[in-house]
Amino acid sequence: MPDTPEKDPVTTSSLGTLLVISSVLVMLTLVWALYNEFFGLRPWKSYEREFSARYQTFLHKQIPQQEAAEKQILASPEYQQLDQQLKAAEEQVQQKADEADKQIAILDARFSALTETFTTERAYVATQVYAIEHTSLSRQPGLQKKLAEHEVGPFRVSLPTPPDGRIVTGDYTFQQLQDEFNKVQLDKANLLEEKSALLHPISDLRKKRDAYLTDHLNGLTSEQLSGLLKKALEAPVEIRQINIPDAGIVDRCESCHAGIREPVVITAKDMGGKKVFVSHPDPELLALHDPDKFGCSPCHGGNGMALESVERAHGNYEHWLWPLHPMENVQAGCQQCHAMDMVLDHAPVLSEGKDLFQRRGCVGCHRFQNYDPEPEEIASVQQETILLESKRAEAQHNVQRSIQMGDAAPDNDTARMYYTQADSLRVSISDIDGRIEQLDRRSKDLLRDTKKVGPDLKEVRVKIQPDWIPVWISNPHAWRPSTRMPRFRLKDDEVKAIAAFIWQSGIDATLPHQPPGDPVKGKESFETRGCLGCHSLDESSPHFAANLSRVGEKDNYDYLVRWIHNPRERTRPYCPFEKRDLTEADYKKHGLPYVFDLDHSKCPNDGHELQVEQETIMPNLRLTIEESRDIASYLITLKTKEPSSYPHADYLNDPSLKAQGHALVQRYGCAGCHEIAGMEDEGRIGTELTKEGSKPLEQIDFALLTREAREQGWYNHKGFFEHKLAKPEIYDTGRDWKDRDPNDRLRMPDFDLKPQEISSLTTFLMGAVDSQIPPRYWDMPEDQRRDIQEGWWVVKKYNCMGCHQFMVGQSSRLMMLPHYQTPEGRDQLPPKLMDEGARVSPDWMEKFLANPAMDPKDTDRDGVRSYLKVRMPTFFFSPIEIRKLVRFFQALAGQPMPYIPPKLEPLTDQEIAMARALFTSKGAPCLKCHATGDPAHDKFATAPNFLLARDRLKPDWARRWMLDPSMISPGTAMPSGLFKPVGDHYVFAGPTPDIFKGYDGDQPELLVRYMFEITPDEQRRLMSMSAEMLKTSELIRSQKPGVLSQNPAHPGPIVARIVARQAGGFGK
Amino acid sequence: MDWHQLWEITSAPDNVPIVALILLVPFYTWYGIRQALANDRLIAQLEADPQLAKTHHRKTLPWKAGWSKEVPVWPYLLRIEFLAVIIVTVLLMVWSITLNAPLEELANPNLTMNPAKAPWYFLGLQEMLVYFDPWMAGVVMPSLIIVGLIVIPYIDANPLGAGYYTWKQRRFAIGTFCFGFMLLWLLMVVIGTFIRGPGWMWFWPGQTWDPNNQVFEVNRDLPDIFRITSAWGKTIFGAVVMGFYFAVSGGIIHKLFTWSNWNKKIFQKMSFLQYMTMQAFLTVMMLLPIKILIRHLFRIKYIWVTPWFNL
Repeated sequence: MPDTPEKDPVTTSSLGTLLVISSVLVMLTLVWALYNEFFGLRPWKSYEREFSARYQTFLHKQIPQQEAAEKQILASPEYQQLDQQLKAAEEQVQQKADEADKQIAILDARFSALTETFTTERAYVATQVYAIEHTSLSRQPGLQKKLAEHEVGPFRVSLPTPPDGRIVTGDYTFQQLQDEFNKVQLDKANLLEEKSALLHPISDLRKKRDAYLTDHLNGLTSEQLSGLLKKALEAPVEIRQINIPDAGIVDRCESCHAGIREPVVITAKDMGGKKVFVSHPDPELLALHDPDKFGCSPCHGGNGMALESVERAHGNYEHWLWPLHPMENVQAGCQQCHAMDMVLDHAPVLSEGKDLFQRRGCVGCHRFQNYDPEPEEIASVQQETILLESKRAEAQHNVQRSIQMGDAAPDNDTARMYYTQADSLRVSISDIDGRIEQLDRRSKDLLRDTKKVGPDLKEVRVKIQPDWIPVWISNPHAWRPSTRMPRFRLKDDEVKAIAAFIWQSGIDATLPHQPPGDPVKGKESFETRGCLGCHSLDESSPHFAANLSRVGEKDNYDYLVRWIHNPRERTRPYCPFEKRDLTEADYKKHGLPYVFDLDHSKCPNDGHELQVEQETIMPNLRLTIEESRDIASYLITLKTKEPSSYPHADYLNDPSLKAQGHALVQRYGCAGCHEIAGMEDEGRIGTELTKEGSKPLEQIDFALLTREAREQGWYNHKGFFEHKLAKPEIYDTGRDWKDRDPNDRLRMPDFDLKPQEISSLTTFLMGAVDSQIPPRYWDMPEDQRRDIQEGWWVVKKYNCMGCHQFMVGQSSRLMMLPHYQTPEGRDQLPPKLMDEGARVSPDWMEKFLANPAMDPKDTDRDGVRSYLKVRMPTFFFSPIEIRKLVRFFQALAGQPMPYIPPKLEPLTDQEIAMARALFTSKGAPCLKCHATGDPAHDKFATAPNFLLARDRLKPDWARRWMLDPSMISPGTAMPSGLFKPVGDHYVFAGPTPDIFKGYDGDQPELLVRYMFEITPDEQRRLMSMSAEMLKTSELIRSQKPGVLSQNPAHPGPIVARIVARQAGGFGK
Repeated sequence: MDWHQLWEITSAPDNVPIVALILLVPFYTWYGIRQALANDRLIAQLEADPQLAKTHHRKTLPWKAGWSKEVPVWPYLLRIEFLAVIIVTVLLMVWSITLNAPLEELANPNLTMNPAKAPWYFLGLQEMLVYFDPWMAGVVMPSLIIVGLIVIPYIDANPLGAGYYTWKQRRFAIGTFCFGFMLLWLLMVVIGTFIRGPGWMWFWPGQTWDPNNQVFEVNRDLPDIFRITSAWGKTIFGAVVMGFYFAVSGGIIHKLFTWSNWNKKIFQKMSFLQYMTMQAFLTVMMLLPIKILIRHLFRIKYIWVTPWFNL
């Protein structure tokens, strides 16, 4: 035990130091918390300050530049003249305006001087009137008398008096006060009106002068820029937020991207390399999607609410499910609202993706809303038909029963009730019959519209050289790199089994033997008839349909002739109800001839609609059998080696391979793209992709690459799609196939997509999401825009753009071919369709699309432009698609539907004579280029026959066309400047025939009326009238075409082509 | 070794308390034991000097000559508590500034998280679900834990060791606490946090949490091993085994409890009710480690299988 007692550690020790330290710490933490609150969590503050500073510098630099540019414009004589005019006008009215102002000022003073006295008295009178109305009858006269005495006044007021404003004092009664009060107001109103009438021309002149400045200045004026500068200077540092409560959009993006909506173009360079401050690169798109209505994140993705860091705001973290779309896939954001659109302006990458999904046959395995809807619709129509048929049978049964009950009824009333019941059932049966008929028609149309991505494999035995099949199946890309058929990763025995199955399931038939044609003529036809609008002979150029360069190695000549003559011809019809191909025996059984086509499409066994066409996009060019033979003979010469040099595949007929082949064909979903006997109703084998972009990542199988993907940063939808598309089997990597079922291997074949194609498809799939945005944002219009949306699907489906131009800047495949580069070649191009809806009547168009020959018998011709070598083919569109197309063209040209043709005044004899004279005048030899039906003449024609005009054209358009065709169709052969304006009408610009003397009507309108009345007789008369000129036409044709002179004073014929414009008009 | 995986677990904001726990519990245990041993030495000194012990103390408490016999709450206790308040405030503020609340995306009923884990303080209960049926692990055992904690003052017959750290006078209590709280409860929390991955499967630290991980495990009930098939047979067999267990573990606990002379004296002081209550809670508590062990060592799921409950 120690001697000196130890001090108590609790009572004697001091905690002072610890307390001081921890108090300091707590203070520091408090400071830290405050700093974090004001700055750490609010980085946007510094962004806003930096933007403001940089933007001001930018504007300070811009303003002098714009000022200099403005000065130049201000100094220009045009501006000076406008300015002078304005000043002169101002001077002219200055005095009167000043006088009016003075008078108005006097009236204002008079009014205010009156107001006090008058309003006081008026209030007194009002209270007295109230008192009179609410008092007893006996007291009324007294009050009335008192009021009348008061109203006499007199009330003394001093009023400034026009015209000089002198103050006049006078005595007024109440009534006089009131009148004066009203008069002053009226006078003032009159004066103001006078003044504004006086100034109106001045404000017009000022607008004109200012418009001249803005029209000639590139960008904003310096004044506007100064306004922006002022705004930037005054802009408070605050959260800039777009809030749309009912759509759940809260976007604060502009708190950092402060320049995105500025009306000037701001580049990163202007902002010291800071990309965050640029203005939106597509202001036009932004104008269509006002951020105040759409926000930012619905299109771009990202976490619009987050502000604390770039990573959070862009949503690039695990728990934000809609991260910002990367720049290369930015158009993915369009898809969720524009799912109905096949072609989308401002989104070329997405449109390309949508197109590829169809063209490369993705749709064969993967369902996607709006793509290839026909098979599903057919199934539902079939189901409904079956249901109705059983309903009909039941009703039939009930009719019998009701009649029996009626017969056995104890009294008349009951019997009548049963008979009525039977009658009403009969009526309902007839309703059902009507409905079934409708469904049958619908299913006929749908069967017609059903197309497969690949060719019909039922025809394989009549079409293909057997030895070629295994070569093709094992690696299509090796044989033809650009083919849309993908490469399946098959072993040799699998290739053999599939080939054997395909071969053995083909229809065994003999085609009529075709004599050989002339390959030289065939080559000519192939190159000019329009085959190259879809097909190609070389690998490099993009093409819609197959590259035909090696057709000779694989196809049978006889089949090729049939195919070219009519690609839709089937060897046997297919009955979707019986689910088999019918044979001649089926027809014989019912005593029917073995004839099946679009007019004979009912099944002899059950009366349902048959598939009587090949399910191919390829249309019928209506060639003669001879020409078809020529082309086939030419194509069959296209080969790099002899068909006999392929290794002989004798196992194709080995029945033991068939079962394995069948299983493999089923496994790989071949029937998704090909028609295969017995597998017509096989479903799609792939997963549906309509909402794939928003499928939870956990449900997307990266398999053994999960960890790698996470580490390398592609564990997201984009990464999955890109890797999958580049190498579909990639997610099998590392699997131990020794102990696994080989059928678990991924089935998706290799498409050999180019990086750009992968990017487009990825964009499309990333955009394919279950939208978070309310449906009212989706682009599902009810009006004509919907017709345009629907039409594009058809246009894309049949590749109409291979031959026609639909939009300025878009060029058809044909336009790119060397054949059509000369001016003569250009005249041979199919018509541009940009304004087609305004040009032709919808009724006519419907007929034309159904049969472009416009003649039920003579089909080896083109109904409108018989002079073209290239031919509008027959697509055998169903009424559904024709309606869509017609509405599409009408909508594209902004034409109202339905179209009611305007009534044209019949021509008087005098007018007919005038029109004839103009038609045949030397200045405008219409019949020189327009076809007449005379074969000798039509050889050189470059424009349609006038006889077609009445049914085909819309008169308003015809007049516009005559005035300036190059405005409607840049590069047309029709000359512009034929007419010049005189007063309120147009007159012929060339030498006017004498007969027109004294005529002051609109000459183009006269011609239109005449055109719509031309009969074949009249046309012959015209031809004889201008016979002399037509002879000389040869001469003119041989001359080099010159550039059109728009100057009406220019002498000589106005027959020229606008070569310069045409060259510029084709875009890329 | 997948260090990334380990780092992901350790650095998750949800797991801050557990990581802190792993460090803090051993530290404070060591700190408390150190103080307890120091006090024990003082007590020994006092006891060695019977005169001093007699004049200064009714009970043997740690005390030195010169120390105050009583220390007022104000200011001596409150100033320490005030200091603690400040330090905890600093800690909480720094924590809340540096780490955000671990919020995830909007819940999707079609896509539940894997693994789905309870908050850290309940992970022990969740881990218990592996070894007992939900009725036992979710209702009976938690109730017993709470009741057991309430009961402690009523069965504590030891007059010493209150208000200061001591090991010598509280060996059995401290031992039970260390075993029950630190070894069982905290260990299960740590297992739930660090070991249990997707599918609540066992992943050693450093193993990748792969949701597609394949594990081969066959768990059986004890009666199945003895090929007992009838429900009554199983019930009776289980009851016998459990009775045997309670008898044996009760005996062992008694041996442990009366190991030292000190405890023998306390045992003498305890009433029968007090002692039996203590035995009941301790034997039930021991079930947990035993079930964990037989599950992991022998792949036995339940011992006592009845139509009404399983144990």
